[in-house]
Amino acid sequence: MLELTLQAIYTGLLSGGFYALVAVGLALIFGTMKVINLAHGELVLLAAYVAYATESKLGLNPLLALPIAMAVVVSAALLTYFLTNHIKKDRELNSLILTFGLGIILTNSLLMVFSANIYSTSTEWFFEGVVIGDTLFSMRSELLAFVVGVLSLGGLYWWLNHTWHGRAIRAVSSNLDAAKLMGMNPKQAEMWSWGVAGILATLAGCMLYTTSVIHPPIGHGLTIKAFIITVLAGMGSIPGVLVGAFLIAIIESLTATFFQSSLSELASMGIFLVVLIVLPSGLFGNKRIH
Amino acid sequence: MLEVMNLSAGYGAMEVFWDLSLKFEGGKTTTIVGPNGAGKSTLLKTIMGLITPMSGDVLLRNESCLNAETWQRINEGLVLIPEGRLLFGDLSVEENLIMGAYPKNSRKSLENNKENVFNLFPRLKERRNQISSTLSGGEAQMLAIGRGLMEEPKICLIDEPSLGLSPVMTHEIFSIFRELKEDKLTIVLVEQNTNQALKIADHVYLMQAGRVALSEKRENIDLKKLEDFYFARN
Repeated sequence: MLELTLQAIYTGLLSGGFYALVAVGLALIFGTMKVINLAHGELVLLAAYVAYATESKLGLNPLLALPIAMAVVVSAALLTYFLTNHIKKDRELNSLILTFGLGIILTNSLLMVFSANIYSTSTEWFFEGVVIGDTLFSMRSELLAFVVGVLSLGGLYWWLNHTWHGRAIRAVSSNLDAAKLMGMNPKQAEMWSWGVAGILATLAGCMLYTTSVIHPPIGHGLTIKAFIITVLAGMGSIPGVLVGAFLIAIIESLTATFFQSSLSELASMGIFLVVLIVLPSGLFGNKRIH
Repeated sequence: MLEVMNLSAGYGAMEVFWDLSLKFEGGKTTTIVGPNGAGKSTLLKTIMGLITPMSGDVLLRNESCLNAETWQRINEGLVLIPEGRLLFGDLSVEENLIMGAYPKNSRKSLENNKENVFNLFPRLKERRNQISSTLSGGEAQMLAIGRGLMEEPKICLIDEPSLGLSPVMTHEIFSIFRELKEDKLTIVLVEQNTNQALKIADHVYLMQAGRVALSEKRENIDLKKLEDFYFARN
């Protein structure tokens, strides 16, 4: 029983690292410009399909797809930003419609190009088991996704605190007029946050392809998961994203282990509601990006 | 150095000032005094580009800077030290100061400038890790001034620096401004504390209800006459 619980928590912890990686790009953009990018999950999925194409057509390890996927996804993210930037009125609200529509276009483009088939990696290295302390089991790919997720969030945290572009993003998210008075160009800060969100989505997409199966409709589900974690974190908080992602993933994993996996989404939604009732501004609420 | 010509601006449809023309000479300290609501802060924000004017022009070194964004004006050395409220409330004191070093020219001397600011305001050093929204009014004011100095201004607009400060602190801040003045910095000082402001001024403007009511060299100003103007006793 104890072993089973520990295993469930361990599995949840590992997928939490991946969830955080999916969610943090959405949180970053929201923190900078109060825009919720509803096409974020689709951008993650786009990267996963680039990894699939690289593996199946070129016969390369899907991780080698990273540079190509990054170019594709960052371009798509920047294109989304430029379209969002053309919204003249009520950008916060109208961008929801715009990005939701772009998500649908992306999903259907993937459907057109890659069909509705389900794909997963054929590189065996990823499925091999790793056992820790004789009891905790995972696939190599799950451990890799966790490490990449945690390192990416750490890297992002460092970037926001120690580089001028990162600081500008924090300043713009904290007080727009004050940021302008420091000589910051808000448009440039926004562009950087979309570019970096694109890079994070690429990493998440490649991890998604190596740990799981992909087909066109899951992009939407990823967006919802990212959105829930962002809200749970307290909009814009990066440590909050990590904690929120672990919470959601561990609840899901425990539910799947002790009840059934079809209830896991319900359980995480239940926790989400409870947290919002108790802490309406999220776990790390009222703090912007930091 | 800096000139405002026939400028009108306001918020939405409401005009705050009309047809203002003021001149700020290089290396000199110009003081704008006047009661609350005269449009002094709005004027400074319009010069910085935070507010778009309805008509008129702002000339920086004899060239219009209306088409330049706020951040471009900062890179020209034009800096506004706003009232204490415009801080990064969710960042620490030290992080606020670091943000001040964002302009490209001031990044290199970040550490030096930070030490200088901490020497000027030891209180900020004590509270370097405190979140700035929890500072008292006077401390927030010190932080706003310190952050502005981190930007290494060439033309420094200062909005109500004595607001919320004790008389001792006010005296200290003005001695800092006097030093800046001796370094030939161009200063535009908006103040309600007329006494202090006049002491360091080279030129004085009195603004009332959106207009310039008086423009005089410091040496021609009679404090009695200014007060008469100020309280409209004529």
